[in-house]
Amino acid sequence: MSLEQFIPFAPEIFLAAAGFVVLLLGTSLGRRSVRPVSLVGVASLALTGALVWLVGRPVSGPETILGDMLVVDALAVFFKLLILAASSMAIFMAAGFLERAGYGGGEFVSLILFATLGMFIMASGASLVSLYVGLELMALSVYVLVGFFKLEVKSNEGAVKYFVLGAASSAVLLYGISLIYGTLGTLDLEAIRSSLVSLPTSNPMLALGIVLVGFGMLFKVAAVPFHVWTPDAYEGAPTPVTAFISVAPKAAAFAMFLRLFLGAFGPQVDFWRVVLWVAAAATLIYGNVAALTQDNVKRMLAYSSIAHVGYALLGLVAANATGAWALLMYMLVYAFMNLGAFGFVILLESKGYAGELIGDYAGLSKRHPAAALGMLIFMLALAGIPPTAGFMGKLYLFAAAVEGGYIVLTVIAVVMSAVSLYYYFRIVVQMYLKDGEEEDSAPAELLRDRWTEAMIAVCVVVTLVVGVYPAPVIGWAKSAVGALGLM
Amino acid sequence: MKLYDLIWLIPILPLLGAIINGLVSNRLGLSKPVTNTVALLGSGLAWILGWAAIVQWVLELGIHHTHVVRLFTWINGGSLRILDGSLADVNIAASFQLDSVSALMVAFVTFVGFLIHVYSVGYMHDESDRAYARYFSYLNLFMFSMLVLVLGSNLVVLFVGWEGVGLCSYLLIGFYFEKDWCAAAGMKAFIVNRIGDWGFLLAIFATFMVFGTLEFTEFFATAAAHPEHYATAATVIGLLLFVGAIGKSAQIPLFVWLPDAMAGPTPVSALIHAATMVTAGVYMVVRCNVIFRLSPTAMLVVAIVGGVTAIVAATIGLVQNDIKKVLAYSTVSQLGYMFLGAGVGAFVAAIFHVLTHAFFKACLFLGSGSVIHACSGEQDIRKMGGLKRYMPTTYWTFLAATLAISGIPIFAGFFSKDEILAKAFEAGAGGLNGFGSTYYLLWFLGLAGAVLTAFYMFRLVFATFHGEFRGGEEAEHHLHESPRTMTMPLVVLGVLSIFGGLVGIPGHLFGHPEWNLIEGFLEPVMLPIGHAAEEAAHVSHHAVSLGLEWGLVFLSVAAAGLGIWVANRFYMGATAFARPQRLAERFSLVYKLLLNKYWVDEIYGATVIAGTLKLSRLLWEGDARVVDGAVNGTALATVGSSFISGIFDLRVVDGLVNLVGTSYDQASRQFRRLQVGFTQGYAMVMVFGAAVLLGIFYLAKF
Amino acid sequence: MDFQFGWLLNLICYLPLAGALLIMLFVNKENSRGIKTTATVVAGLDFVISIPLWFLYRPDGAEFQFASQADWIPSVGVQYIFGIDGFAVLLILLTTLLGFIAIYSSFTAIAERQKEYYISLLLLQTGMLGVFCSLDFILFYVFWEVMLVPMYFLIGVWGGPRRLYAAIKFFLYTLFGSVLMLVGILALYFYNADGLAAIGLKGLGNIPTFSIQHLYTIAPQIPPDLQFWVFLAFFVGFAIKVPMFPFHTWLPDAHVEAPTAGSVILAAVLLKMGTYGFVRFSLPLLPDATLKAVGWIGVLSIIAIVYGALVAMAQKDMKKLVAYSSVSHMGFITLGLFALNTAGLRGGILQMLNHGISTGALFLLVGLVYERRHNRMIAEYGGLAKVMPLYATFFLVMTMSSIGLPTLNGFIGEFTILIGVFNHSWVWALFAASGIVLGAAYMLWLYQRVFFGELSNEKNKDLKDLNLREQWTLIPLVIIAFWIGLYPKPFFDRMAPTVDRVLARVEAVMPESETVAGHVAALASLPADETAGEHGEY
Repeated sequence: MSLEQFIPFAPEIFLAAAGFVVLLLGTSLGRRSVRPVSLVGVASLALTGALVWLVGRPVSGPETILGDMLVVDALAVFFKLLILAASSMAIFMAAGFLERAGYGGGEFVSLILFATLGMFIMASGASLVSLYVGLELMALSVYVLVGFFKLEVKSNEGAVKYFVLGAASSAVLLYGISLIYGTLGTLDLEAIRSSLVSLPTSNPMLALGIVLVGFGMLFKVAAVPFHVWTPDAYEGAPTPVTAFISVAPKAAAFAMFLRLFLGAFGPQVDFWRVVLWVAAAATLIYGNVAALTQDNVKRMLAYSSIAHVGYALLGLVAANATGAWALLMYMLVYAFMNLGAFGFVILLESKGYAGELIGDYAGLSKRHPAAALGMLIFMLALAGIPPTAGFMGKLYLFAAAVEGGYIVLTVIAVVMSAVSLYYYFRIVVQMYLKDGEEEDSAPAELLRDRWTEAMIAVCVVVTLVVGVYPAPVIGWAKSAVGALGLM
Repeated sequence: MKLYDLIWLIPILPLLGAIINGLVSNRLGLSKPVTNTVALLGSGLAWILGWAAIVQWVLELGIHHTHVVRLFTWINGGSLRILDGSLADVNIAASFQLDSVSALMVAFVTFVGFLIHVYSVGYMHDESDRAYARYFSYLNLFMFSMLVLVLGSNLVVLFVGWEGVGLCSYLLIGFYFEKDWCAAAGMKAFIVNRIGDWGFLLAIFATFMVFGTLEFTEFFATAAAHPEHYATAATVIGLLLFVGAIGKSAQIPLFVWLPDAMAGPTPVSALIHAATMVTAGVYMVVRCNVIFRLSPTAMLVVAIVGGVTAIVAATIGLVQNDIKKVLAYSTVSQLGYMFLGAGVGAFVAAIFHVLTHAFFKACLFLGSGSVIHACSGEQDIRKMGGLKRYMPTTYWTFLAATLAISGIPIFAGFFSKDEILAKAFEAGAGGLNGFGSTYYLLWFLGLAGAVLTAFYMFRLVFATFHGEFRGGEEAEHHLHESPRTMTMPLVVLGVLSIFGGLVGIPGHLFGHPEWNLIEGFLEPVMLPIGHAAEEAAHVSHHAVSLGLEWGLVFLSVAAAGLGIWVANRFYMGATAFARPQRLAERFSLVYKLLLNKYWVDEIYGATVIAGTLKLSRLLWEGDARVVDGAVNGTALATVGSSFISGIFDLRVVDGLVNLVGTSYDQASRQFRRLQVGFTQGYAMVMVFGAAVLLGIFYLAKF
Repeated sequence: MDFQFGWLLNLICYLPLAGALLIMLFVNKENSRGIKTTATVVAGLDFVISIPLWFLYRPDGAEFQFASQADWIPSVGVQYIFGIDGFAVLLILLTTLLGFIAIYSSFTAIAERQKEYYISLLLLQTGMLGVFCSLDFILFYVFWEVMLVPMYFLIGVWGGPRRLYAAIKFFLYTLFGSVLMLVGILALYFYNADGLAAIGLKGLGNIPTFSIQHLYTIAPQIPPDLQFWVFLAFFVGFAIKVPMFPFHTWLPDAHVEAPTAGSVILAAVLLKMGTYGFVRFSLPLLPDATLKAVGWIGVLSIIAIVYGALVAMAQKDMKKLVAYSSVSHMGFITLGLFALNTAGLRGGILQMLNHGISTGALFLLVGLVYERRHNRMIAEYGGLAKVMPLYATFFLVMTMSSIGLPTLNGFIGEFTILIGVFNHSWVWALFAASGIVLGAAYMLWLYQRVFFGELSNEKNKDLKDLNLREQWTLIPLVIIAFWIGLYPKPFFDRMAPTVDRVLARVEAVMPESETVAGHVAALASLPADETAGEHGEY
């Protein structure tokens, strides 16, 4: 084993190291550690980014390392950078929050770094095993993050639920993997792909294996009917964590989803598509409809994130090039608009869980016009109204589905996206159409939190710029999915 | 520059007057002299120019030359493929034409119009400056519209005038808009007329679809050239046009608006609702005589509607006590005669009657106006009487006009009405289009109508001017002859009511057809049409011997005499009003029937109007409940299902806990405390969901 | 396409946006005067610079003029294409004029949150103009939806008591329509390119593009069943916007709750989006489906005409009455468009302008008296002609214009429509023409109840007549009403090329015997661009 072959693995190694460093730093600094530790964390993430960028441009085509355990290709690079962005923003947003809540920063930031490491492996796993390992690494860190508020019942509640169900789903996933291994005798994605090309499609073992793996993935991305943990986990978790897990792990999970189903199981697409079709339809309808009456903003955003998984699944159902790159683009767009939205929830949370009810947004536009405008933009984006990134993202997912000929599913999707406007605008109604004097509203004050505000500003800019001029992002996404070799 | 090239200016002059008075005088409230000078200039210049142009046209081009002045392309609606498969351009021109009919109409419209402007100067002087200005600008605007109507060289320009006069009538009837019933009457007039316009518009579209043009000269020529080919089309178009005429000229069943229209100032009633606008229908039918002559059906319908209207309106007129109402119904009845004439092919006679009627009916209305003026607003003839003494001029002119309308020889009305009746009889005798008996009946109705006309008109005269004044002491002191501006027009019109008919002496009775000037003048309008129809139309000419014709003349004179005699017995001398009283008591039912105008208004109110309003309310309810209900229902359902699914995750828990045995409210209290569900519940959901998915998967695959 | 003066079109479209940003960033929200002046100046300027379009547009020139084109999202063939034909020129002028009037008329009506108010109006302006300018489906769709947001706020923030309900109803209802339209757009897009795999629909294999002009050229090749579904998707989108019966119920609520300016824009321009869509997309892109749908749409339109009129008659609220009258009038327009002949289309297009002017003015007028009395109930009024003669006059003129009195704009539109409709089916005309009677009935009844009779209500005794500013918001509309009524030719001439081309494209799939002008049919063969418009006479 020469040292050179570890070079492509450098980002992951660095990230792991950084995680430990931050952990120690945190413990030594204690309570006052939040800001410095966060800065260190983000800095290391930035460095990782740089490394990813350097090693991420293979001389010729994708490059597998560590005995074909991992692959470094454009797809991986795309997701890694996206994940890094999400993680660092989460850290920035968390800082003030943690201080207010009186927690140290060490564990938090290091946990995020470890989760990020796990996601890296998910993003570039080339074998079922490495993918599974990455998944678990990510999951374990996230379970802890969700329960980070040791003293809050809701937080623990959510963590426990997430953990139990997550464990169960991991078991299902693993069982599926074993079935596949049993039938094909390999764990390597490339090998699976090539053997599936020639395999007779009517092999019940294999079928079950693929479906069970699918179930596992559907759980990780929180699709119906495996969504049930989401609302409680999202509502219970500290808001910055909610923001984080609603974005980064989803992106990583979808990366894995892509590698498995469009990559490895690609040849058998007609075989598993029906499952995803049903799941997508169910997710779209359930997520959007359930969100309509949520009065707790975090819970509402939880259901909305379920709904957005539904849109993303369109790309997988279509299983064509458009679908793939549309999915990538959507993950990116969704990351920024969702983080932005959660940023506001953070700013509104004066203490504990206060400021989570819709009524608290009443009359915001009068007291904080700029902030309200920002939130309006995110709501429009989430609802997919132009000229925001949200529209462009959805547009190409719909396009992919239409191209695939899944008109019914597309119609469900577009109608549901119209429905979604209603619950997003319940917030807008509070901010703009109520003056905050109504009896049903308890206007909350916005906190001054420079870091979070800065992050929100970034999100606003991205949401608008990508919405008006998406060409570069699309170009990047397109080149990234080249690795999957789809038509 | 020839004057007959300036005919477009004839309507424009009064329009200018209207604009000035409407925008300037009315806004600034200029003094009355200024206002009426403008108005009189507007109509007066139109009169002079009109007559001058006509004279020059007759002398230089001759009456056989239809002079068309095309100003500009107004509506270029592209091209349409018409019935015969060819393409026709929808290019409606703003263009005017001068031929004998329009010349005749222009001549008397400008003239009578001017007279009534003069009359109004005196009649309206009590109004405030602004109202005065408003009145005159409306009146001028009416002159404009009416002149456009008669000068238009295609159906659309005619329709412009048609609607314009409708608007002015609406505005002038509702001139005293503070009075609800005036405003209501105006609205009624407009809407009833719109029903007619509906037919007119469709007629226009049909004409275009058949002929590919709306220019009179063009499609008349085409139609006249191939009568058989266009017979059916002519029936459709003719009937639709006549629907329009029925509305505008207040024939059955759309006559109800005209009596109410008397709510307007009296000069308005004289000008618009007697002399000019209401005759527009007749003018239109005569103008389109080619179309009608091609279609026996259309002719018959016109004749029947006319004849029936003539007699029905006359019967109503018998018992009315409001001086203007009597005149109103008499107008409806006279219009009926005109259509009867048109229906029997006596188009010239119809126009002739329009002319004479304009003279004597205007005179009657202005006379009644002067009476009302004197009786300080009183309109009930039972509160009048003996006015002859106080207002001789009014009396003598009124009498002259009455004799004219009753059809006493020499007087204007005699010639025109007699010719119509004669033609009706001929139609019967000649079995025109094979409907001989029907035409006989119509002739008889007309004759009976003549008796009634004479009766109710003289009833009016006797009740108003003879006997003793019944209006009480106080009112009697105010009685006075009207100012010169009012009497002068009366005199002029009175004189015309006497001699105006001489332009239409039935020369052929004396073996001198050329004596009938108007016949000769209007002859060019009666375009000769292909053989078959031509014969049919002219059979009548030799159907009646000269002797019989003379007999008819005496018969109609006798009819008039009878009517006057009865009126004299009833309303003159010591026993005045006694006999009619008794009659009314004996035949109280009939009396009530007539007094209440056959309850037509009530019937319409109960059926058409009430029906429409009911329907509209019904639909409105439906719109709110059903159509919108569906929309909101869907929304509600969605939100409802959201509520269910939103708490599904939690409620499932309760269900499971219940299974476990914990009591419902306990569980729900717990769940309220924690606001989160129970994990095993969730696990169940996932397992269940997974099972379903697997099921679907296997159903789809194996 | 003719790229001359392309910059002008862009300027017209984005000037209001610039104005909005200007106010947003540089004008303090206390400085009400500054806000008003900026907004008014911007809108006024926008109108002024849009006037040249009227003169610069050459009916005999290229189909789309003032064009500009650039890549937007090249990887998927989305382009930024602006360009307008005569039809769009007219609508743009209507928009800029009404936009200015709407702002100018709001000075006293809107007291609170003026900054947001004028910003919304200006943004709305850009959105509407963009719709008329776009020649790329995605670009079009972006503007189409951008419009909704400011309108939502106009209704929701400055609206009446039930504004929340009305606003979200408007937004959702119209959004449902447009998202379905989006699916249709995508279907067309892929059919033009590689087809729709799973339903086994093979595409034409052209370069993927959303360019409407290109799609025009492939229209005849689109298979009927695809046309049917796409037409359906478009129809829902446009029919809701128009709105056609039975999709109209959002309209009365939106109108009643919206502030005056909102109603004016809504009636004058937003409703035209639907009919614009029919003319620009449904007819030329989906000729086969259009020919099949004509019957149904005709019936729906006639129902709308009669139904709208009857329901209007039952209204007790002036604004609601005018709103329902819109349903009736829009019925005339759709009927004319789907008569599928020159007269019908020309009339329909002209009536789009007429309705914008007359109904816009009527909403202004209702707003004026509402501003004085804060009450729109007809029963509250009566005898106003005595205290507000000038107001009564303006109202009368606009009433007459909306019931189609000759020499006013309404007549020209209705006449041209109906002569075309009669030519298509005399039965349709028979029923449609009855709308003329009903129209007169409800409008005159309204007029009588509001202006005539005793001045019974104490509160109306000392109402002020219109002041100069209020008069000037109405005078332009009155002038245009008379202009179109007396000399509509310039308008017809400008729309003629559009009409002929649309018909040519529809008739491309018609048996030759049924097509209209031979020379028009000839146009169909030519590619969209070289077709030097020959169209009727001038």
